[in-house]
Amino acid sequence: MKKSKNASASQTAPLTFRLWKFTGTALLILFIWIILLVFLSPLSYMVVTSLKSKAELSDRTAPLYPADRLTYDYQGQTYQLYQVPTSDGVIHEWALVQPSRLSSQFVDPAHPEAGLITWQGSWRNLSGVFRFQIYWKNYTDIWKLLDYPRYLRNTFIIIVIGEIGILLSSVAVAYGFSRFRIPGGRILFFLLIATIILPDSITLLPSYYVYVRILPWNGTFYPLIVPAFFGSAIYIFLLRQNFRSIPRDLDEAAMLDGAGPARILISIMIPQAIPAIVTVALLHFFNTWNEMRMSSLYLAIRHDLQPIAFTTQAATMMGNTYESIQASALILMVIPVLILLVSQRFFMQDLVITGMEKRS
Amino acid sequence: MTTAKRELILWRRLPKPVKHLSLRSYETRVGFLFLLPWLLGFVFLKAIPILAALVFSFTNFNMLEPGETQFIGLANYLTFFKDANAGTSLFGSFSTFILTVPFEMVVALFLAAVISSGRLRGKLILRTLFFMPSIIPAIAIVIVISGLIDPNTGWIVKIFHFSKYSPLYTLVPFVLSLWTIGPGLLIILGAMQAVPRELYEAARVDGAGPVNRFVSVTLPMISPAIFFTLVINMITSFGGVALLDRGLPYSGVIYSGHGFMSFSPMESYIAAQMFGNADLGYASALAWVMFILVMGVTILLFRSARNWVYFPEETGHEEI
Repeated sequence: MKKSKNASASQTAPLTFRLWKFTGTALLILFIWIILLVFLSPLSYMVVTSLKSKAELSDRTAPLYPADRLTYDYQGQTYQLYQVPTSDGVIHEWALVQPSRLSSQFVDPAHPEAGLITWQGSWRNLSGVFRFQIYWKNYTDIWKLLDYPRYLRNTFIIIVIGEIGILLSSVAVAYGFSRFRIPGGRILFFLLIATIILPDSITLLPSYYVYVRILPWNGTFYPLIVPAFFGSAIYIFLLRQNFRSIPRDLDEAAMLDGAGPARILISIMIPQAIPAIVTVALLHFFNTWNEMRMSSLYLAIRHDLQPIAFTTQAATMMGNTYESIQASALILMVIPVLILLVSQRFFMQDLVITGMEKRS
Repeated sequence: MTTAKRELILWRRLPKPVKHLSLRSYETRVGFLFLLPWLLGFVFLKAIPILAALVFSFTNFNMLEPGETQFIGLANYLTFFKDANAGTSLFGSFSTFILTVPFEMVVALFLAAVISSGRLRGKLILRTLFFMPSIIPAIAIVIVISGLIDPNTGWIVKIFHFSKYSPLYTLVPFVLSLWTIGPGLLIILGAMQAVPRELYEAARVDGAGPVNRFVSVTLPMISPAIFFTLVINMITSFGGVALLDRGLPYSGVIYSGHGFMSFSPMESYIAAQMFGNADLGYASALAWVMFILVMGVTILLFRSARNWVYFPEETGHEEI
C-alpha cells in the first residue's frame, strides 16, 4: 500500500524528487571529501614539510607551499626582498639593505640606479617575497645517510619469517578453537581474549630479563621472530570468528569422504577464509614494518641488524629537524602505502565481526 | 606363589582389549594438538612472565645489582600510593581513555554510516584513504601535530589567524585519536555492509525513517563489531598495541621538537622506572597496578556487553 503510494508520488513529481535526491547526494559527497581533507592533512603536511628547507620552516612569513625566498644582488652583496607598503597604497618588492628599528633603507630591484630608499616603520613586520620552489635536499640527504638496502633486508627477514610463524600458528589455533569441542575450551578462549587486553609492560620485564640475561638473544633477531610462532591472540580471535562463519556442512561432507582434520583445514577452511588470512598477513606486515618496541630493546646494540623503521627514527631523532624527519617518514611509508593500495580489495574487507554463522 | 600373584600372571596373559578411542576423546586430543602453539606461548610468554612480574613486585630487584635482591613485601605498593608522579601518570592514562575513546567511537560510526550509505561511489578508495593516516609512523605524526599547532609557524595559525595562546593544545589528544581510528572504522564498515538488506526493507515497510533504521536496525546488528572496536581502542588508549603498531617506543614518549609528547603517561612512567632507574621491583609493582586497573575496566566492559551486544552465537546450543 505504502509502496505504491511512494511510486505514484515519484511519478507525478519526478523532477523535484530527483532534484532533491541529487542535491542530497552532492552535499553528502562534498561533506565526505571535506572530512577526508582533514583526515589527510597529516599526509599533506608531511609532503609539504619534507620539501622545505630548514630556514623556510622557521620563517614566520613563509607561505604554506614549499617556496624559496627571493634575493637581490646589489653592489656585490645579496639582500632579501620584502613586501614594502608605501603611503600611496602600493606594495613594492624591495630589497632590504640597511635594516634598522624605526626606519630602514631599501633598494628597488627595478630601479637600482635610483639608489637607497628610506622607509619609515619596523622592517620586522614586513613579509618576505617567496617563489614556489621545491627543495629536494632532505630526501637526498637521508638517502645518503642511511644504508637503505641493508636495513630493508633486515626488515624483510623479520617480516617474512614472522609471517610464516604467525600464519602457521594462528590459523592452526583458530581452527582448534572454532571446530573442536574441548573440555575447558570456554576458559581457554577467555584466557585468549584476556591476553589481547594484557598491557605490554607487565610481560616486558621478565621476558627482557630472560632474553638478555638467560638466553644470549640480545642483539639477535630471535626475540622478534620466535614469539610469532606461538600465535597472536588478536589474529587467532579474528580468524576464529571467520572460521566459525564457514558452514559446518562442508567439513562434515569432507569427513564422510574420509578427510582428517588437517586435510579439512587445508582444503576446506583455508580456501574459504583466504580474505581473512590475507588481512591477518597484512596487519602483521604493517605492525612489523613500523615496529619499534622490540627492536629498540634487543637490537639497539647491533646497528647492522636494525630494521628500517627503527634506524630511521634513531637517525632522524638525532638531527631533530622537522623536514628531515618528515622526508624519512615518507620514504618509510612508500612500501606500506603501495601494499595497502594494491590490497585494498582484500584488506579487512571480509573481517566481519558479527558472530553470525552462515547457516546454509 | 600367592593367589594374588597367580591372578596377576593370568591377567597379563589375557589378550589386551583393543583401545577404542571414543569420538569425543579423539576430538579433544586433536583439538588440543591444534591449540598447542598458543598454549605453549600462553604458558611461556604470558603466564610465567606475569607471575614472575608478581614475584618481582615484592622484591627490590635491581637490574644493576641482581645479587642484592631481597624480599621486601608490600613496600613497592606502598611506595606507589605515596608516589605523586605515579598517581599523576595513572590519572593521565585514565583521562586519555575516558576522553578519546567515546570520541573515536562516535567518529568511526558516523564515517562508516556515511561511507556505506549507498549514495557514494568509490567506497573502496574512500576506505583506503580514511585508513591511510593510521599507518603513518608515530614519530612523524607527533611532528605533524606540533607543526600544525605551532604558535609561530603552524598551519592552523597561518590559515585561521588564531591568537598565540589558543586552546588548540588541549585538542591534541583528540586530533591524534582521529588519525588512529582506521582499523576500527574498517571493522565497523565491514559489519555495516554485512547487515542483511531485508532487515532495512522490513523496517522501511514499517515506516521507519533513516535515523530510526540506523538506531534500531544497524546499531544492534553491528554491536559485536562496535564492542570489538571499543576494546581495541581501549588497549590503544592505554598505550598498548592492539591491531596496528605505528612504531611507538616502549616508553611511549617521542620528542616532538617542542618537548616530549607522551602517548600513554602510565606506560612511560613504568618504562622510566625500568630503564631509567633499573628498578625492576617497583616497575613490576606499577605494571601490576596498571594490569589490575585495565582488567577492571575490561571486566566492566564485558559485563555491560551482556546488555547491549547482540551475540547470536553465544546464545546458541553448542559449546566452543
